Amino acid sequence: MMHYTKTSYLLLLLCSFTCTMCQTQAQQSYNPLWIPDTLAGPDFNLTLKDTFAQLIPKGNQTITAGINGKIWGPTLIMHKGETVHFNIQNKLNDSTTLHWHGFHLPAVMDGGPHQVIPPGTVWQPYWKVTNNAATYWYHPHLHEMTEEQITKGLGGLIIVRDEIESALALPRTYSVDDIPLVLTDRDFNSANQFVTVPYGDSMMVNGTLRAQHTVPAQVVRFRILNGAIERSYNIGFGDNRAFYVIGSDGGLLNAPVSVTRYLLHAGERIEILVNFGGQIGQSVDIKAFNSTLGNFVAGGENFSNGPFANYLGKKDFTMVHFNVGAATANPITTIPTVLTNNVLLNVADANITRKLTISDSAGVTNPPILGPNAFIINHKLFDINYNEYAVPLGNTEIWQITSSSIFGHPFHIHDVEFNIISVNGAAPAPAQAGWKDVVFIPGRTGGQNAVVKFIARFEDYADTLHPFMYHCHIALHEDEGMMGQFIVKDNAASATTEVDASADFALFPNPAQDRLFLRFNDPDMLAYYIRITDALGRTLYMLPQPDLHAGLDVSKLKAGVYNLECRDTKTKKSRTKRFVMGNNR
Amino acid sequence: MMKYAFLSSLTLLAVALISLPSFDFQAPPISDIQDFRLKNVDGRMVSMKDFPDAKGFIIIFTCNHCPFAKLYPPRLNALNEKYKPLGYPLIAISSTDTILYEEDTYPKMVEKATSEAFNFPYLFDETQSVAQNFKAQKTPHAYVLQKVKRNWVVRYNGAIDDNGGEPEAVTQAFVANAVDALLAGKEVAVKETKSIGCQIYFRKTK
Repeated sequence: MMHYTKTSYLLLLLCSFTCTMCQTQAQQSYNPLWIPDTLAGPDFNLTLKDTFAQLIPKGNQTITAGINGKIWGPTLIMHKGETVHFNIQNKLNDSTTLHWHGFHLPAVMDGGPHQVIPPGTVWQPYWKVTNNAATYWYHPHLHEMTEEQITKGLGGLIIVRDEIESALALPRTYSVDDIPLVLTDRDFNSANQFVTVPYGDSMMVNGTLRAQHTVPAQVVRFRILNGAIERSYNIGFGDNRAFYVIGSDGGLLNAPVSVTRYLLHAGERIEILVNFGGQIGQSVDIKAFNSTLGNFVAGGENFSNGPFANYLGKKDFTMVHFNVGAATANPITTIPTVLTNNVLLNVADANITRKLTISDSAGVTNPPILGPNAFIINHKLFDINYNEYAVPLGNTEIWQITSSSIFGHPFHIHDVEFNIISVNGAAPAPAQAGWKDVVFIPGRTGGQNAVVKFIARFEDYADTLHPFMYHCHIALHEDEGMMGQFIVKDNAASATTEVDASADFALFPNPAQDRLFLRFNDPDMLAYYIRITDALGRTLYMLPQPDLHAGLDVSKLKAGVYNLECRDTKTKKSRTKRFVMGNNR
Repeated sequence: MMKYAFLSSLTLLAVALISLPSFDFQAPPISDIQDFRLKNVDGRMVSMKDFPDAKGFIIIFTCNHCPFAKLYPPRLNALNEKYKPLGYPLIAISSTDTILYEEDTYPKMVEKATSEAFNFPYLFDETQSVAQNFKAQKTPHAYVLQKVKRNWVVRYNGAIDDNGGEPEAVTQAFVANAVDALLAGKEVAVKETKSIGCQIYFRKTK
């Protein structure tokens, strides 16, 4: 019924990539790099919506999903130490979740597969930002739907600022000398629509095909996210110039690291400085030098047919074309020599070494697997009802991952930023020696399993009900079950032996006015989760750990009958009470 | 679920490629379309048999909420204005899940039909059974039906045209072309395209 033939647009791309004589034509076909707007906190309103965008310059629009816009979402600005509050409205056709990638926060606020937001629902997570200044991101994490929802364009960047970073002479004027670059690739069908496949034929940066941008002739900072479904990008400049990595996933490096290439895997971020000083009128490309990648690195394979076939495989290709323009007033002109003083975790402080395995499993049919093998962690597929580990609150742990997989996997863990101890016995490269939340686990080579170790501390947020995830950040693999979960458990907390009646509660006033108050029988009881549904069963509000002192704001509810389901923090059992919204408010 | 869709699309791609050289790959016409009886925004019930003189119909599955469907009302009015007198009236049907989308409920449909001055019936498929009968995928999803003896035969299904956002840039008006071909006694050249818009999700039956 649907003919997924390649478009004439692809032919255009092929021509422009292979044609060396038609430089002028190629330049004319560049599109201006779109840079998402910023949104400042601490209160954020985000609306997720099915919509459409003119991604291919001519012809039909592409059906997309956007957050406060047509594709992707605003760049959220947060400050370390502040408490951020969200109103997240799901106006998609589908359930979804929104995960705060890299953030240390309560599991119930994490936006993983357990914090499902049904369509039409408002979700209100909040947390105190304790992460270091760096570039983070948010994206859907609904199990088996992550690939499809990210493909449609859902996601956004988060910039955290802190005192250390703010005191440095670094470029930080967003979109001028501090520019976000979200790297993805997508496939379009003959009707200009996205196809949900692991590898696309067309490179996109910030949702822009064939992007170009004018940068000032000075030191410019790029915040680069690999937001692809599967592909890794071996980042470098067309003229092979050196650039300086100043930050990894979870914070600044101690000092800038000069490199000419950086291999960025799905989910990872780096911040780099590039000196365009004195280069007015010149042009340079950021390219992916993927022709040099090994077969086990995503994007290093060269399939000519099958579900993984794609135009960009094992090739070098341009990602963004930069033209150098005039410098700004008060430009940054030098690369700093010192950035911060990271106090890394000490291997001697580890309470335990957890040993995980990654392996390939043939014959998996449920869920259906796109390739010949399912990739699995600890010899099992993801089970949303099974917690692999109960990590004691406050533990410092070494996670040792041994992979016999033929393929490399970017491994991501929620809740923590970690330090890489070793990759196949070697200390991490200087640009990876800071804070990370994704680490690339190489494939098995020369008959040798790959072994990667990292160390992390699990602090603050014990919760035995909502787990955190660890998984491969290739969305296809994750959807196919390459994921596990753990809880953080406070072993010092007393067992829950409370009489149930203490968790019972009353709602008042009822009929309610603009604010609805909840009173537990036990005045020390707190709400763990509140869900408000209407008479038809639509979930309207999902409120993790709401502050009940001022009552719940129900002023937006129409007249009618509603149910309030409350799970308390002690017994973790839920009770449902009915309340009425009156007409005469 | 999406992987099944992907796998089947690969199979279909293979089929399409195999059949390309001969250019004669044809989907068999869907002839098991059943008449329906649905409530219009004016409160009356509407069926295809209420149009005894119709040679066929332009049936559009659409809805209030979908941003892509919102681009088309003026074009739907124009299609009905042109083709109803020629024997191909347009009927719009809303089949989306109103539990998901309050904006698609019947009272809001009435408001929409008034505010957009619909000159065609806008029917509420409350049980989603008509959309299931047609196998409608997206909003908007267009069908051009032709009456053959007592049967309704689908001569075209898919997108209304090839540019939602820029009506002036449309290069292929699929629905209009199909009806023009039928009126001229010719075979419809493009019988099927991919409908583009918001997925119609079918509620699980209890």
